[in-house]
Amino acid sequence: MIDENKLKILTESAKYDVSCSSSGSKRANKIGGIGNGSVGGICHSFTPDGRCISLLKILMSNDCVYDCEYCPNRCSADTPRAQLTPIEICELVINFYKRNYIEGLFLSSAVFETPNRTMELLTDTVEKLRNIYHFNGYIHLKGIPHADGDLVLKAARIVDRMSYNVELPSEKSLKLLAPQKTKQSLLLPMKSLDNAIEYDKQNKIRHGKVLPAGQTTQMIIGASPEPDGQILKLTEALYRTMNLKRVYYSSYVPVVQSNKLPAVGAGLLREHRLYQADWLIRFYGFNVDEICDANENLSAEYDPKCAWALRNMHLFPVEINTAPLETLLRVPGIGAKSAYRITEARRYANLDFDTLSKMRVVLKRAKHFITCNGKFYGSDSFAQVKHSLLITDANNEQLSMFSEPSTALSALTGQI
Amino acid sequence: MKIFITDGSVEGFYAAVFDAYFETDCIISSDRHIQLALDNQVVNVEKNSEKFLRIQNSINRYDKYAEDDILLALRSNDLHKEQTAFNYIRKLFQTKSPIRKMLSLQEVIELNNILYKVRGEIHRLKGLLRFMENADGILYAPYTPDNNITDVLMRHFAERLKNQRFVIHDLKRKIAGMYNGINWGVCYVDEVQIFLSEHEKDYENLWKKYYSAVNIKERPHEKQMKGSMPIRYWKFLPEKQND
Repeated sequence: MIDENKLKILTESAKYDVSCSSSGSKRANKIGGIGNGSVGGICHSFTPDGRCISLLKILMSNDCVYDCEYCPNRCSADTPRAQLTPIEICELVINFYKRNYIEGLFLSSAVFETPNRTMELLTDTVEKLRNIYHFNGYIHLKGIPHADGDLVLKAARIVDRMSYNVELPSEKSLKLLAPQKTKQSLLLPMKSLDNAIEYDKQNKIRHGKVLPAGQTTQMIIGASPEPDGQILKLTEALYRTMNLKRVYYSSYVPVVQSNKLPAVGAGLLREHRLYQADWLIRFYGFNVDEICDANENLSAEYDPKCAWALRNMHLFPVEINTAPLETLLRVPGIGAKSAYRITEARRYANLDFDTLSKMRVVLKRAKHFITCNGKFYGSDSFAQVKHSLLITDANNEQLSMFSEPSTALSALTGQI
Repeated sequence: MKIFITDGSVEGFYAAVFDAYFETDCIISSDRHIQLALDNQVVNVEKNSEKFLRIQNSINRYDKYAEDDILLALRSNDLHKEQTAFNYIRKLFQTKSPIRKMLSLQEVIELNNILYKVRGEIHRLKGLLRFMENADGILYAPYTPDNNITDVLMRHFAERLKNQRFVIHDLKRKIAGMYNGINWGVCYVDEVQIFLSEHEKDYENLWKKYYSAVNIKERPHEKQMKGSMPIRYWKFLPEKQND
């Protein structure tokens, strides 16, 4: 059994990685095996910071040869180091899994010795887990930049999801803050994994698919001067060219003293707004150009959808009983689920405001932008509409609470 | 007004639906403590396989997915679940085609509200159920769910923990699902005595250690935690016990 102090060190070094989702893979269990994938993902616990624990998120080692400015595990930092063997990790995963503590493993590592050596040991671990321990649950593996393509591909055939962190939103910032990593060392493996996924799709390969749950990435916001518009442009490009499942953002908070880094953090509200914009791009049919100009930041007062609607008041109100799905999705306050419910329900009956609220469509904001059978219950005054959208947003106070520098550590990000 | 009291089983409920279908004003319930008014007439419904099959066939004729929903709703702890399911069935028979997507119908909204809660709890417990290993290597998970969902969870865990043997014990209803590595069943179990394996406490401690290490203390948000993981489920979570 592993030493609890080692577990503590390696968990604390991994906890700032944002991603913890276990969704997207429906890997089946085998006879004599343990574990399977659940497409929707399952959360197994929640920590007092409100985040969910789904996967056992752990580093194999935090003894890094790289020296990235923002990272608490960089080689010049004075911090306790530890390393686990593949067998130790496997034992821990199986024993946690069968007690239903976790949904699978999120394995990452600092780069020790060489990138290839690190990648080899990571691959060895997940291979043992699958073949010797017969584990068919979810595995998310971090890709190591500069590791051999063959090694990475081998790992990709075993695990459910992989991720290379782009770390920072521009090449210039990457050069300044993480000089040992290059844009190419992050984007090329991402692209070759995407090609492998695409190849499996084209050839309709069912068993032993490469990365059934796809790829994700993560970047730090506010450690470098890029505006939101540029970040979202990059996000959109990553979704289009790399077919990523998710891009994670983590707002920068100054924990590491450095003259290359800003003294104040970015604040969680900014992170929150970026996620809202991200959702609009993926699920609501928005283009980045509609949400935010390349040199601008997102509005702090209004969420991106409200801000868009306020700029485009001439498109509203829309009629609930006839508007197409794409239009319904653009109404502030109506989400993807509500829009779907409306389109289903109206095939059989005419909808009025009363029915809508019974169907749990929230009308607080939406009422200013819709009509039901020609009736309009919103406000005619633009100023009043603006004001009412603002009030619902005051709930976000909770988020800005953590953006003071004293609440350090917050949201600092990825190790590799 | 007639009140049809069932024994809580599906057979009993379908028989009650059969008997009550042509009553203009009636209530079906399995609640034995239901409040009666002066003009109420109580009818105790017996199980009847002929009536059961006729109702079941009719439901399947109009909508092959409806029965799954109805059976799931009957697992709820909602006091009006039978009446809600009855209203749904009546509407289905009147419409003679699936009504599941007529989301503005009162009958559909009410059934969906019950289903929302039952499905929510099933999903939650797929994550929050905790097994402990006993000396023979059998996993044991006690819990007290709001709804009667043990067999749904059995199906999930029998697929997931295929090479293990385990027991899921609903302490509230005194029933337990058991899986022996090949197949599973549910039966009445009152009290059990568990002898833990020698490593059980160690892994529990490692898990507690992990739980406190992965938390970011500087960023507290307890409200969010309690919203996603209500306190009534904490009783069986090792990471939430302070000792």
